[in-house]
Amino acid sequence: MNPRERVVDNPFFVLGVARDAARPDIERAAQRLLAELSIGRQSALAYSTPLGPAQRTEDKVRAAAAELRDPAKRLVHEAWATLAAEPTPAPGFEPISWPLALRLIGGKAEG
Amino acid sequence: MSSKRSIFVGIDLGTTNSAAAVFDGERVQLIRSAQGSGLLTPSVVRIDARGKVTVGERARRLVDQDPDNVKSEFKRMMGSQQTIAFPAAGLVRKPEELAAEVLRSIREDVKAQTGILPETAVIGVPALFELPQTAATSEAARLAGFERVEIIQEPVASGLGAGFRAAEDVGSFLVYDLGGGTFDVSLLEAREGLLRVVGHDGDNFLGGRDFDAALVDHFIELIRAQSGVTLQRDNPAHAHAFRRLRVAAEDAKIELSRSTEADVFIADIGLQGQSVALSASVERATFESLVAPLIERTITICERLLQSHGLVGAGSVGNVVLVGGPTSIPALRARVAQALGAPFGEGLDAMTLVAEGAAYYAASSGLDARGSGAKEAGAGAPVWLQFPAMSSDLNPFVVGKLVEASSRERISHVVISRTDGGWASAREVVDPDGTFAIMTNLVARRPNTLRIEGYAPNGDGPLLLAPSEFVIVHGVTLGDPPLARSVGVALANNGVRVFFDRGSPLPMRRTFAVRTVETLSPADPEGSLRIPVVQGEFPYAHLCRLVGAIEIKASSLKSPLPVDSLIEVTIELDRGGRLAASGCIPSTGDVFGHVAQLITGKVVPSELAPRIEELRTRLRDTRTKAFKHKAQKAITVLSSAEAMLDDCAIATQRAQGGDQDAGERAQRLLIDADALIAEGEGEIAWPDLDERARSGLTRWAGWIAEYGTAIERQALEETTRAMEKASLARNAREVRHHLATIAHLGNAAAMRSEGAWESELDYQISQITKSRDPKAAAKLVAEGQRAIQVRDKAALEAAVRGLWELAPGTSDKTRGLGHWSGVT
Repeated sequence: MNPRERVVDNPFFVLGVARDAARPDIERAAQRLLAELSIGRQSALAYSTPLGPAQRTEDKVRAAAAELRDPAKRLVHEAWATLAAEPTPAPGFEPISWPLALRLIGGKAEG
Repeated sequence: MSSKRSIFVGIDLGTTNSAAAVFDGERVQLIRSAQGSGLLTPSVVRIDARGKVTVGERARRLVDQDPDNVKSEFKRMMGSQQTIAFPAAGLVRKPEELAAEVLRSIREDVKAQTGILPETAVIGVPALFELPQTAATSEAARLAGFERVEIIQEPVASGLGAGFRAAEDVGSFLVYDLGGGTFDVSLLEAREGLLRVVGHDGDNFLGGRDFDAALVDHFIELIRAQSGVTLQRDNPAHAHAFRRLRVAAEDAKIELSRSTEADVFIADIGLQGQSVALSASVERATFESLVAPLIERTITICERLLQSHGLVGAGSVGNVVLVGGPTSIPALRARVAQALGAPFGEGLDAMTLVAEGAAYYAASSGLDARGSGAKEAGAGAPVWLQFPAMSSDLNPFVVGKLVEASSRERISHVVISRTDGGWASAREVVDPDGTFAIMTNLVARRPNTLRIEGYAPNGDGPLLLAPSEFVIVHGVTLGDPPLARSVGVALANNGVRVFFDRGSPLPMRRTFAVRTVETLSPADPEGSLRIPVVQGEFPYAHLCRLVGAIEIKASSLKSPLPVDSLIEVTIELDRGGRLAASGCIPSTGDVFGHVAQLITGKVVPSELAPRIEELRTRLRDTRTKAFKHKAQKAITVLSSAEAMLDDCAIATQRAQGGDQDAGERAQRLLIDADALIAEGEGEIAWPDLDERARSGLTRWAGWIAEYGTAIERQALEETTRAMEKASLARNAREVRHHLATIAHLGNAAAMRSEGAWESELDYQISQITKSRDPKAAAKLVAEGQRAIQVRDKAALEAAVRGLWELAPGTSDKTRGLGHWSGVT
């Protein structure tokens, strides 16, 4: 997954929940979105990300909920959601480089 | 039960017996067989000379009278190409067609008791069922007249049944499911009302039937001692006697669960030309010693599962749920309790828990058995509602849409309330597109009837909506069903590209790009490209089960497809585990859709014996090496492989006597033994591999330190750390994987050194005769040499890269192992 996808497909953005959302809140958000998508509710068809709006699909919602059920994977997504959210995206936002990403999530990076 | 209320049907389609349960949101009702066999319908089908089909208890009673035309245990052949013959009628049936007869009979029983002929249902399948078997189960349901079915793994259903009954969250628990033909063990966890499958293990060919077989072997010994006759499984003349002995064994087994002794008497076991009797008294202790090795096999599997999740020793799980007929054997219960050190779940019926759980699952998936035609029409503005029929969340959302544009003008707000008067929502605004979403508030562990009403823009109301009421049950539910075994594509080098990991929630869909390994020309009428789809946990394709294939015929192409062309492969799995796969050639836009056929090879018994011999030779060689290297772990692994090959030899013998199911089992055992021997070989090769990893690391790290980029150095550091960890854990697979990554990084760095491309060109010239296309290679070599003369670095690189792509392909032997995959 490239950094852009990491941000655009980030489960927290797909589900529209906060990074510190509790497990039941995540499941509920997924349940609500799947129901809304199945009746074609206008307000559910897109979601916002720091890189602009993206289309929401049932597949994406299911995959996002599954990702966040796994504690290890959730940590990584939290990191990306943080990275993307904190430096307020300026126009022409550049995807984050890998070394920067690793440093921000606590890895040792050089260069 | 009135038809105004939703009903949810769950079915346990068992090897020996089947059962069904109906859940109405409040109570679960077990379906009784109309033939008076209680809650169970024997999975037995008879077809008589006139082609009349009899199912269940009536068919089972005729097994002794008409053994050739009464068939059972077809579940073990589901998804294979085996067929079942009914000689009296001269008919041949597929296993799923017989399963359909059982399902049809159950469907009628549901109608007799609820007044509703169910259109949809949830059917349980063993956790380790592979895709072809799952697909065959869906097909059986379709043949039985069901409009729609979903599949649930049996242990998950049992867990759901047990979890739904438990008053509190039970934490982690183990479902020990020993059926007639399969053994499944699952580790589950119930937290906050949501059930999660932590892991599965099991043996697709170990069940009550093997307990009977052990007793039959005992009878054979007795007959030999009493009358000097030696019965042989591969002798067709003895087949009838074996059937009699098996029925006697089954009865004795059941008797021995209740009393300490069982008398067996058969006046004539039915050998042609001579009268042989069997008269014996079997003591419980004798039976227990006969089946002890089988029980131990189940314990080993349980311990393996617990260990793989870091749970060691007795008492590491909170609860054990026993499922299946053989779990009533006292010795089995005692041994399981002792080994796992956990109490058994109480008040749960081992025979019907799967059906019960499947019915709860139908409710949580909203699979109303009344089908699509049951939508009640009522007065009021029609509204389309989406809500979970069963929810583990106390505050699920109800989402809806006013169907008619006219009602969107009349109704601007919606209110949902509980009919018990305990809660009502605020007036929620309806969106311009007629939709709304309201969070509800439920009473725990009960069915909640909710009322929905509309309000006009001026506040007038309540206005009638249709439907006006609906029910949500609060209880334990399951997230999306997890995939039991990883699914991927076999590659020409016998590797596997995994598309879906085990445990991925279904449904799922994924696309990956692969590259072809040979040129495909439309002019070649025989030519085709094969992309095999496999299922299993091994990194080598030949150890995984082939479950389907995408086949692209050369004749269907408009233009030649050169070697190394990109193909995008998409695999889709629905909730029932049904597979669809398609390939797309991006360069031409051609799509080869839905070409996956679920195939399980027909087992040819005569081909099994040579393969067993081949593996035995490999086993002996490996063991000699293991002793020399004092590789204790390898020796242990190899002795399990040997036991497996012994079992396999017995099964092969039975297969040669016409037992098709034994053939399937032998096939499976061969693959498993192969995998174990490979593990043993890996163990012995460990010191070598470790050494190679260390020297490789030193060499590549040097190149990276000198010529690597910052990112490469960073990646080297991470990978080295991971490799050290894998090395400590002696995980050969991981070490090999990390070593390959490091070599890749090192290579990239090394190619930046002075003269690297020039010497690579020299090397490629030495390999030119082995190239897949020597003519094209010669042209590239010439281009490369010219580039060196004019010092055109980019052109030299391009030439060398071209040569890399033409590098010799994979040998036929390897490709054969990789199910003749045409991609990499």
